Amino acid sequence: MNFRTMQAANRRKTIGLLIGMGVLVWLVVYAALTYFGTSTAGIVPIAVGIALVSVWGSYYGSDKLVLTMTGAKLIQQSDNPKLFDLIQEVVIASGLPMPKVAIVIDSAPNAFATGRNPEHALIAFTTGILDVMDRDQLQGVIAHEMAHVANRDTLVSAVAATTAGAIAILSDMLTRMMWFGGGRDRNREGGGNPIALVISLVILILAPLAAMMLKSAISRKRESLADATAVAFTRNPAGLRSALEVLASDSTVVQQRSTAVAHIWIESPLDAKSVSKLFSTHPPIAERIAVLKSMESLG
Amino acid sequence: MKTIIVLGVAALIAVFIISQYNRLIRLNITVDEAWSQIEVQLKRRADLIPNLVETVKGYAAHEKSTFDAVVTARAKATTASTVADTAAADGMLTQALRGLLAVAEAYPDLKASTNFLSLQEELSTTENKVSFARQFYNDNVRELNTAVKTIPSSLFAGLAKVTEREFYEVENPQDRNVPNVKF
Repeated sequence: MNFRTMQAANRRKTIGLLIGMGVLVWLVVYAALTYFGTSTAGIVPIAVGIALVSVWGSYYGSDKLVLTMTGAKLIQQSDNPKLFDLIQEVVIASGLPMPKVAIVIDSAPNAFATGRNPEHALIAFTTGILDVMDRDQLQGVIAHEMAHVANRDTLVSAVAATTAGAIAILSDMLTRMMWFGGGRDRNREGGGNPIALVISLVILILAPLAAMMLKSAISRKRESLADATAVAFTRNPAGLRSALEVLASDSTVVQQRSTAVAHIWIESPLDAKSVSKLFSTHPPIAERIAVLKSMESLG
Repeated sequence: MKTIIVLGVAALIAVFIISQYNRLIRLNITVDEAWSQIEVQLKRRADLIPNLVETVKGYAAHEKSTFDAVVTARAKATTASTVADTAAADGMLTQALRGLLAVAEAYPDLKASTNFLSLQEELSTTENKVSFARQFYNDNVRELNTAVKTIPSSLFAGLAKVTEREFYEVENPQDRNVPNVKF
């Protein structure tokens, strides 16, 4: 596969997963209505509203918020001219505007991108990654981060987080209602089909889990897409591949390991062994290296 | 009811025409921007050269033919105006610079000088920028030319006064020759 077909495939899969999210929301609402009757319909806009406000606030101010959450410091061209040279190279290759640049003082090699749109993009690097990587590797990493900017991954993950959040809130509210004697409308016409009731209950309990899995799957697809787009920018899969090899062989992880911002780093800061594959935000690094190697052999 | 349908269809057609027209114009503007990016980066590289040549001369004054090649290529590159001319001059200059750096390899004192090291970093980032600017330009030319040639956008190319653009091809006969490096 070359990078163009890779990009197309990952975009298609993202759309499929987002549709899956939509179906899940619909299922939850349907289950709630079956179990509790139409009187619960009012809860849906409340849950969606809460999720919207909490996620979109952080989406809109993502560049500033992530700075405080990760302890990154903005830098100017004079602070690190060589890094800026490399970023300008990728900016020219991608046709994107110049992003803000930040440094995280941390010896673990890692990097991330954020910002609600290319005009408000911010890319950050740990001091560790700047120390261990050579020109080509760093260029690959920058291209991967700029690819996230180009693919508007902050927006995609905000959409995923909103729906997953809405489902979690909704299911939480409804399970609470169940414990408190239930708002089940027992006077409803036709009573209720017991099988439908059981299925609805199962859906309500499993939905948040399924939503988390879908959210992680979307994040993984966006990582693969960013790798492919990075190659489209630099036409040099070897640079990013050897950068990932450096990250894979390095056992240190960034100090601050908040799950809230885990998905934005180029290498997941969470211990891969403790999190099952279904819930991890990144594809296995060996898999990413293999894909890039196959692109190299295309020449 | 009938007039509403007629108006609706007319509106849809208008939206379609406008979007096709705007797409062509937008692609054309992007190609212009990509072209000026190439010029900016070539200018940047041309500005680096006098300093680089002077630095190398300080250590290797007798490599006259190499300096001459760089200076001639630079002069050509700064006067070229069409896409093909610029690309040819760019190719010549890239090759001449390669020759110059190869010469520098033979002088350890020169290679160790801080001035040369910082020039070398500037030169390599500029070379990268030039080549990415070329790549971005050619990608956009490809997209524009495809739009000009394929239906439905091709039907509006005349209306938008957008025509096919020229690719930036650096390859020239000299590029295939082995660089002539004397030690």
